[in-house]
Amino acid sequence: MPFSYAELEEFYEGLVARARRRGIACAITSGMACVAFGVSAATKDCDLLCSPDSAGELLSLLGEAALGGRLPNYRGNLTPPLDARWFRGGWTSHFLWPPAGSGAYLDIFGVAPRSSSPWESEIQGFYASPHTVAEMKRTNRDKDWPFVTALGARMIEMGDERGWLHIYDENLLHAFGDTAKYSAHLFKRRPILELAANNDPRLRPALRAEVEYWHELDRVRMSVYENAVRQYMVEVRKSRLPPSAGLPDQHNLRVRCAEKYLPISPLRDYGVDRMISETRETLAQIIHPDAMGWLPDVHEHFKLLSA
Amino acid sequence: MKKVEQNAKKHTPVVRRKLRMAIYDFHVRAFGEEMARVNHLPLADRRRYIGEMVDHATRKGVKSDKPALGVTP
Repeated sequence: MPFSYAELEEFYEGLVARARRRGIACAITSGMACVAFGVSAATKDCDLLCSPDSAGELLSLLGEAALGGRLPNYRGNLTPPLDARWFRGGWTSHFLWPPAGSGAYLDIFGVAPRSSSPWESEIQGFYASPHTVAEMKRTNRDKDWPFVTALGARMIEMGDERGWLHIYDENLLHAFGDTAKYSAHLFKRRPILELAANNDPRLRPALRAEVEYWHELDRVRMSVYENAVRQYMVEVRKSRLPPSAGLPDQHNLRVRCAEKYLPISPLRDYGVDRMISETRETLAQIIHPDAMGWLPDVHEHFKLLSA
Repeated sequence: MKKVEQNAKKHTPVVRRKLRMAIYDFHVRAFGEEMARVNHLPLADRRRYIGEMVDHATRKGVKSDKPALGVTP
């Protein structure tokens, strides 16, 4: 029998509670956090943020966290080790409590992608803040964008004006602009808010350009990591472990392979400036030059990865 | 870790009502009538609804696992 959604939710929240009792900074993010913040996402997988400094302690906890009497395994040959070094570099570790297909899936991040501030500074119960979750949702997947806007709208409703940074729906920008005010300093972080404030008809193309910009940034970022992981994947695949190998053995194997073949911080090596400038070059071929002028400065969204 | 401070600027009841109407309208456009209603349920009811939806999909053989790529969008 597959685990029910309620059972998995209870398990993940219990895991976070146990981790925090051990001093491990962690918080649930993505789909399950969205449900908590009033935007329903139909997912049984759990995405967890964990402080890179606590990676070792979290691995120990996972090694004793049974679900249905079974312990987790690393999932797939591409999964980097749950180790502070690769965690700080933006890698994600994937775990599965068997059986595959009907067990529990846990993805763990050390650095929240695109987060402009440390996620640890804002926690809401078991979850990362709506601000962190919304920044993480600026992906290259169309389906994520209504979630970004919905989280931003919730933030504005709750009086957090950073929500204006996450509204990507033109109608909502106008409706909110007629009702709620915001500080001028947000214009600097997101120039198109000035267009919205002035009911400028250039808002629509600028808004589309902004979404396309984030799409393209994510596409380049993903390709940097995908290229960096290839040799490591080959080595993990070659080094077959017996099926009975436990999580510590799986981990040690991955650390050995990663130390030889997995760059710690591919995006830092590639260069954030290079990624941004290549993205803008690509975008310039499909976006009107006027709209390009309203794109935000995104450097702050990658500073935690390049530190 | 620290919890988010309650630094919410107080909206007047009129502003709050207008914001809520605009948000509901957005949810209808973005997620459809049914999910807009679900998104505005109390948390426990919303979780129960999502749980029933996900469990039904699982029973029908829908796979929800994502590829393990080592990096996440």
